[in-house]
Amino acid sequence: MSTPTELRGLIEKRGASRTVEGHITACAASRDNMRFAFTTAEGDVIVAHRSDLAEPASWATYAVHDGAALALAPDTDPGGFLTGGDDGRLCRLDMHGEIEELGKTRRWVEHVVSHVDAKTAYIASASGKQVELRDGRGETVLKTLEHPSSVTGIVFDAKGKRIAASHYNGASVWYTQPKSESVRSLEWKGSHTGIAIHPAGEALITSMQDNDLHGWRLSDGHNIRMSGYPTKVKSMSFSRTGKWLATSGADVVVLWPFFGGGPMGKPPAELPGMGGALCTRVAYNPEQEILAAGFADGSVIMIEPESQRVLPVCLNGGSAISALSYSSDGCLLGFGTEDGLIGLVDLSAG
Amino acid sequence: MSDASLTSEPADTLVPVTVLTGFLGAGKTTLLNHILTAEHGRKYAVVINEFGELGVDNDLVVDADEEVFEMNNGCICCTVRGDLIRILGSLMKRRNKFDGIIIETTGLADPAPVAQTFFADEDVRAKTRLDAVVTVVDALNFLQTLTESPEAHQQIAFADVIILNKTDLVDEAQLKAVEDAIRKINAFAPIHKAQKGNVKLTDVMDVGGFDLQRTLSTTPDFLENTHHHHEEDVNSISLSLKTPLDAGRFQMWIGALLQEKGADILRTKGILNFEGQSDRFAFQAVHMMADGNDIGPWKEGEERESRLVFIGRNLNRPQLRRGFESCAVA
Repeated sequence: MSTPTELRGLIEKRGASRTVEGHITACAASRDNMRFAFTTAEGDVIVAHRSDLAEPASWATYAVHDGAALALAPDTDPGGFLTGGDDGRLCRLDMHGEIEELGKTRRWVEHVVSHVDAKTAYIASASGKQVELRDGRGETVLKTLEHPSSVTGIVFDAKGKRIAASHYNGASVWYTQPKSESVRSLEWKGSHTGIAIHPAGEALITSMQDNDLHGWRLSDGHNIRMSGYPTKVKSMSFSRTGKWLATSGADVVVLWPFFGGGPMGKPPAELPGMGGALCTRVAYNPEQEILAAGFADGSVIMIEPESQRVLPVCLNGGSAISALSYSSDGCLLGFGTEDGLIGLVDLSAG
Repeated sequence: MSDASLTSEPADTLVPVTVLTGFLGAGKTTLLNHILTAEHGRKYAVVINEFGELGVDNDLVVDADEEVFEMNNGCICCTVRGDLIRILGSLMKRRNKFDGIIIETTGLADPAPVAQTFFADEDVRAKTRLDAVVTVVDALNFLQTLTESPEAHQQIAFADVIILNKTDLVDEAQLKAVEDAIRKINAFAPIHKAQKGNVKLTDVMDVGGFDLQRTLSTTPDFLENTHHHHEEDVNSISLSLKTPLDAGRFQMWIGALLQEKGADILRTKGILNFEGQSDRFAFQAVHMMADGNDIGPWKEGEERESRLVFIGRNLNRPQLRRGFESCAVA
C-alpha cells in the first residue's frame, strides 16, 4: 500500500495518487462532478471528494461487492454512483456512503449505464443475455430486454430515447419509452465485444473479437468496417461533437473521422503514443477537443489532436492503464491501473 | 491464429487451466468435488455449466453459458467459447485469489471450442495455459454411448488424461473392452482407473498435459494402429525422429498441413528436438490452431528424439511420416 513517489507529469502539481488493493476495473465522476469513484476487482469502491483531491489518504473505501466490481456509472442523482458486480448485484453507493442493493441476479452484472435529462432518468444494467431498464430511482424495472446471446456492452443515445446492446452476430437497438416493444436488430457475423454510439446518433460502433471495429449508419443500416488493429479494441470514445472516434488497440491513438463522408473509405488519423507501448484506454474530454490516452506501460497523456500537442499526465504508472475517465465538466481526469494505482488530476483553471 | 506460429511464452507464470469433459452421468462433478475437497492447500476457481449434475463445493464458482461462435479468420472449424473469454478475462483480474482454474463442460459438449479458446484469444493466451483436457469415462455405459454419439469420440480424442470411472460396476472383460475402445481412438492419453472419482490429484491436476515425454515414452509400439479402421473413425498416429529438426522447415510443413487437413486432425502434440536448441520444444495444436514453447532442457543422458502425435480422422500415416522426416536437418 505504498504511494508511488516517482510519478511524473501533471499529477505532480495538480493531482494525487494512491495504491489500493486490486485491479482497477473502472472510474467515473458523479453527476455533480464533486466526487470521483474507482472500482476494484476486490469489490471495493474508492471515492475521492473534489475538496479532498490533494489528500488521497482521505479518499473513502467502501466494500460494496463480494467478488469483483465489474461496472460503474454515475447515479441519476447528483452525488452517488451505481455499480455492478460478479456477485450478481446492482448497487447504489449514495453521497453519504450508504449502500443500497437495487437488484440481484445469478449472473454477473457486467455493465451499468445511466441517463438523466430534464424530463427523464434511466438506469440500465446487463447480466447474461438480459438488459434491465429501470427508472431513475432504480427500484422499478420498466423493461427486461432479451438478447440472443450474452450482452457485452450497453449504451444510451445522447437523448436517452434508445438503448443499444452488443452481443454475438450484431447489436440490438431498443426504444426506452414504455409503449415501444420493438427491437431493431443490426446484424454482422462474429463476436461483438463493446459498443459506442455517435453523440448525434449518426452511427453505432462495436468492437470485435477479430481485432477490428464494425459500425452501422443508423439512418439506413449501412455497414461500416474499420480495421487494421494489432490487438482487440477495448476502449472507444467519441469527441464532444462526434467528429472523431478515438480508440485503443494500437501503439498509437487511432482517430476515425466521422465527417466528410467518413469513416467509410477514409484512413484514420494516428496520434503519437508512448514509444511503442500499447494504448489501452482512451477518453475524450466532454467539453474540449482534447483527449486522454492510457497505455500498457502505465502512462497517461493528454493530446490536442489539432496541434498534436502532448501533455504528460502521469508517467511511470507501473502497470497497464485499465480505467480512464473525465468528469462531465472536463475538469477532473481520473485513471487506474491493473496493479491498483489510482490517480486524479484537477484540470480547472487557477 | 490460423497459422502455426511458434511463440515462446514463459509457461510458469501462466495460470494452469484444467478442462473436465465427459458424458452426463460419467461422474464429472463427483471428480470435481473430489479434487476441490482434497488436502492440497491449493485454491481453484471453478467454471461450471448451469445444468451441472450436483452442487459444487467451492468459494469461487462461475456459471458459464457455453456460447460458441465462429472466428472471422477464415477457418471454418475455428469456433471458440465467447463466454470463457469474458469469464477468464475477469478471473485474471483476481489471479491472486486462486492457483488454478477448472472448467467443467456439459456432457454433450465438443471440447474443440473450449480448447481453441486457449489459442484464439490473445488475452487468454497471455495469462493462462491449458494444462490438460481430462475426460471422465463411465465404464458401465461407455460402449453404448460411443455407438450413439459423435461427441463421445471427440471427448476421447481431445483427452490428455482419461479417468475410467465406475470400474467397480463392471467385470474384467468389459473393462478390457472399454479400454480397447478408448485406445482405438486415443492411443496416448494415460488412463487412470477410478471408483467414484477417487483419483490421485497428481494424475489430473498440473499434469502439464503437453509435457508429453512420459506419455509418449511409455506408449508401446503395438498400440500403433495395426487394426483396420474405417476411415471415418477417429484414431491416432505417433511418429518419431532421431535426427534433429530444422525449426523453419517444421513450421512450414506443419502450418501447411494443418491449413489443409485441420478439419480432420483434431489434435497434434509433440516434443521436438530442434537443431541448435538446448531446450525441448513442446508443440500442440487443436484443429488448425497451433502453439508451442520451450519446456526446459533435455535430461542428462536422455536420447534427443522428436515425437509427434496426431489424433483425427483420415490420417494418412505414410504421408505424415514422409512430411515429418522432410523436416530433419539436411
